[in-house]
Amino acid sequence: MADYKPKTFEVHGKIEGRIKSGPTTGIYQSTAFEHETAEDIENILSQRKFGYTYSRINNPNLTAFEEKMNLLEKGIGAISLSSGMAAVSAALLSILKTGDEFISGKSLFSGTYSLFTDLFVRFGIKPVFVNSTDIKEIENAVTKKTKLIFVETIGNPRCDVPDLKKISEIAKQAGIPLVLDNTLATPYLFSAKDFGADIIVHSASKYINGSGNAVGGVIIDTGSFEFRNNEKFDDFEKFKKYGALAYLAKTRRQVHTNLGTCLSAQNAFLLSLGLETLSLRMKQHCDNAKALAGFLENHKKVKKVSYSGLKTSEYHETAKSQFYDNFGGLLTFELESKEKAFKFIDNRTFLRNLPNLGDAKSLIVHPASTIYIDFDNDTKEMLGVNDRMIRVSVGIEDSEDIIREFEKILEKI
Amino acid sequence: MRLTINGKEETIEKNSVTVAQLLTEMNVEMPDMVSVELNGDFLERENYDGIEVQENDRVEFLYFMGGGSLIG
Repeated sequence: MADYKPKTFEVHGKIEGRIKSGPTTGIYQSTAFEHETAEDIENILSQRKFGYTYSRINNPNLTAFEEKMNLLEKGIGAISLSSGMAAVSAALLSILKTGDEFISGKSLFSGTYSLFTDLFVRFGIKPVFVNSTDIKEIENAVTKKTKLIFVETIGNPRCDVPDLKKISEIAKQAGIPLVLDNTLATPYLFSAKDFGADIIVHSASKYINGSGNAVGGVIIDTGSFEFRNNEKFDDFEKFKKYGALAYLAKTRRQVHTNLGTCLSAQNAFLLSLGLETLSLRMKQHCDNAKALAGFLENHKKVKKVSYSGLKTSEYHETAKSQFYDNFGGLLTFELESKEKAFKFIDNRTFLRNLPNLGDAKSLIVHPASTIYIDFDNDTKEMLGVNDRMIRVSVGIEDSEDIIREFEKILEKI
Repeated sequence: MRLTINGKEETIEKNSVTVAQLLTEMNVEMPDMVSVELNGDFLERENYDGIEVQENDRVEFLYFMGGGSLIG
């Protein structure tokens, strides 16, 4: 493979052997695909030949998106899915079975926490929650039953940053894979494979899409963990024939295809399009977030700001060693009370009050009464959420306008 | 050289060919995503360049991406 830089891959995807057509792939809005002969379809369905038959299994738009993500995360292959939650579910269900335990950071997106505690537990899979920035706690949580470690590169919404090199060393020592949710960092900020991530998942609905117009997810196998001929993962025996692609084969065939968690062609198209500007957007998100965090930190009505780009952040040094000069586009800040937080949101002008992140537009949300509304106060605290907190997904507007908007609202409350 | 590829007799206009060269020769799509079975043994990807295919060998290509799992 020619050695192109990530920004070039974001725009073009696979370069060698690309099909010469228009500047976009077009949208293959087809449920199924016809082939010339009966033998052609037989060869595809017996997996002897590459091709498309049915869009729950594969579709040219999905392949194009998967190729881009695989190149950006330096993987050996990728699987696109219907959402970030589908990606987390499939990535883990491919590895875990009844009786297994896994370690998870407790700085987690609410949907992921709910999946682990509501659904996985029902099937006898036990999550063991740890503070992902406490290396000793992670080390001590490993047992014979532990099958993987799952963490977010940047915790949502706590905005904490675990030391991923050290966590990957613990995983290696224990002979288990590190599964990393790289949604908030994206490959622009964080080269997950270089820091020891074995399996990478994304909610592609966020920064990868960038415009808040498509829900999707993706799993990338970096190829660094060997599931084959491994007593701990005897479930992979059947998939040994796929060689180094055994994890991808098992995840795609046994979990993803059977569950029917397929990404739509239209959404794959929009996600691929979004990737074309990922680096440009991420730079602006990071610069704007840094400027806003600095402003909020010095405002007398703001009680606390969580952003690893601030030198006062307890996660700053770790973040710097992993992300260099960019710290992402998400931050949280706290006001005096829930009432003040609501008042802040209701006095906005161009900010959008909606539960998403990674959009080009600046978004605010009150996590405790929206994304985390189903949880009791203790669980909210554990996940890093409280009533006084507002989450900001800083957009790519002019940073002066963003700061002026916050300044004006703070004057009013 | 005669080979059986995916259960079908094929003739390659070369006397020796590595597995990697065979993938190119046969215009195999998405070569990064294919596993190769040679005479019943699955090969490691990193060995595709080093292993030569011999006369009358049986070669199977296997894609993890497609396949028939309750379609339609």
